[in-house]
Amino acid sequence: MTLALNLDRKAQAAAVVHSHGLPHRRIEEWKYSDLKAVLGERALVAVTAEWQVQNLPAGVEMFDLSEPNPPAWVMGHIAHPTQNVMRAASLALSAGGVAVRVPKAAAIADVLKLDFTGPGHVRALLVLEEGASLTLLESPGPSDFRNVGFEIVIGAGASLEHVRIAPAADDAILVEEADVRIAAGGRYRAHFAGFGSKLSRMELEIALEGAAAQAQLSGVSVLDGRRHSDITTHVIHRHGDTGSTQLFKHVVGGQSRAVYQGRVTVAKGANGSDSNQTAKALLLGEGAEADLKPELEIFADDVKCVHGAAVGDLDADSLFYLRARGIPEAQARGLLLQAFLEDAVVQIASADQRELVRNELLSALKAVT
Amino acid sequence: MLEIKNLHVAVDGKEILKGLTLSIQPGEVHAIMGPNGSGKSTLSYVLAGRSGYDITEGSIRYNGEDLAALAPEERAAKGVFLAMQYPVEIPGVTTMTFLKTALNAQRRQRGEKDLDAVAVLKLMRAKARTLNVSEEMLKRALNVGFSGGEKKRLEILQMALFEPRLAILDETDSGLDIDALRLVAEGVNALRGPLRAMLVITHYQRLLDYIVPDRIHVLAKGRIVAEGGKELALELEAKGYEQLVKEPA
Repeated sequence: MTLALNLDRKAQAAAVVHSHGLPHRRIEEWKYSDLKAVLGERALVAVTAEWQVQNLPAGVEMFDLSEPNPPAWVMGHIAHPTQNVMRAASLALSAGGVAVRVPKAAAIADVLKLDFTGPGHVRALLVLEEGASLTLLESPGPSDFRNVGFEIVIGAGASLEHVRIAPAADDAILVEEADVRIAAGGRYRAHFAGFGSKLSRMELEIALEGAAAQAQLSGVSVLDGRRHSDITTHVIHRHGDTGSTQLFKHVVGGQSRAVYQGRVTVAKGANGSDSNQTAKALLLGEGAEADLKPELEIFADDVKCVHGAAVGDLDADSLFYLRARGIPEAQARGLLLQAFLEDAVVQIASADQRELVRNELLSALKAVT
Repeated sequence: MLEIKNLHVAVDGKEILKGLTLSIQPGEVHAIMGPNGSGKSTLSYVLAGRSGYDITEGSIRYNGEDLAALAPEERAAKGVFLAMQYPVEIPGVTTMTFLKTALNAQRRQRGEKDLDAVAVLKLMRAKARTLNVSEEMLKRALNVGFSGGEKKRLEILQMALFEPRLAILDETDSGLDIDALRLVAEGVNALRGPLRAMLVITHYQRLLDYIVPDRIHVLAKGRIVAEGGKELALELEAKGYEQLVKEPA
């Protein structure tokens, strides 16, 4: 029966892919990231991409989704039905992936490192049971095309810190959809550092499903050349007294393009919800572009929602101040760019991960023009 | 040390300084007084090298060198310091990091070795104490959330740390109450010395009660219209600028 269910969901997903086809710029959510234009029909070939978990931390359970007879915890959560075409494609066109479970109340100190490599589609499932906690470090390797469909289930009172560092990869086309469901008192804290590729899109759909569920999203990108980086989020406050924050900062050089599309929906009855979203970009090059689009949909009462976006250049007063104190122009610019990104970086809870991201930013900022 | 001759400066094509001549020797403290819009801040910015301030005529020589040919950071490394009227706030850079970066950037340009973190900290602590700048202030982001007095004290702390040869103080008294003013003035006076020149720019005579200048120049409509000793400040306070501005220079 479980196998039948799985096959049924695959068939449903295939139907979604078939009816929608590849997303392109005339579809509103893909306006700034024309996947069809860069890919052609290549994306719709059934190839399974690869994944690696190095040193599975003790106390964490793992299952290879290409194996038969998945355990109940996998079947209980996998393949949440969707109308999202790329998410559907990750299910319909892949024959595997990885599932990870952190059992009830397990607090995992070691970082779980998950890498995706190679071309094709792949699935990932992460389940944190009630009261569990984990830090996940995700590194997507370069590939001419990869689509990752990620499902994250955060149980009551559980806490996940997710850090994703996408290195620069000029020719890569990388698409990932994370579907995150957070139960009462659960906490999802995620940071996305992106250095851009030919097309790079991280899409998050986050549902706050119980009281006091929290999502804290942040991210930075440093782009140069003709690279592209898209963060698209949809946070849904399904339950009252839930909270979400988003802070995304982009440094956009050369002829590169940064995209942030953030929608926050406060569902009917989700009274007392609190959300805050901010996206800012600094444009360094004449041909650089930033498309920042925060959106709010509110169907509840007594909610506190704040959003804002700003695109600008380095502040001339600040630059002069630093130079007048003896700091050469290039160094002063670097310092100001670092400072601009810093408030998003400090959102990362773990000091090790924070340092990792800072170092990546530092070397990217040295090269950006 | 500083020789300004017939200096004309335009901002956005509009001439602000219209033939300013001024000479300062090492060890001297000069004051520039003048009403709003006379060109005081323009003079301070053009000396520090801010872009957008175009020298259309005349010259500025600093220790015999053409100052206008140097980038702001080169001027700083050669000992020019401008204490700004409105110090900028830079979130994301701690005051300590900024001070260390600036100090070592200047040293590097002079061909000196970097000071390590411990040496910088030691130096900073010693200077900070006399200016009543707390350790906690140094840990905060640069000027962020600082009161007007704290910002000005930090400017003077930088002056103490960088030990410039020519210090320009642009309206350092603005926004300070009498206690803060006294503290800042004491900090400045402690830095007076035979090798250092200072140019104190102010609207009001009040600051000059505490930092007593060797010479006062009155700037109006882009030109020096009167010059004299420290007693000129009192005369200005009594008569106002109006009369001087009207009289032909």
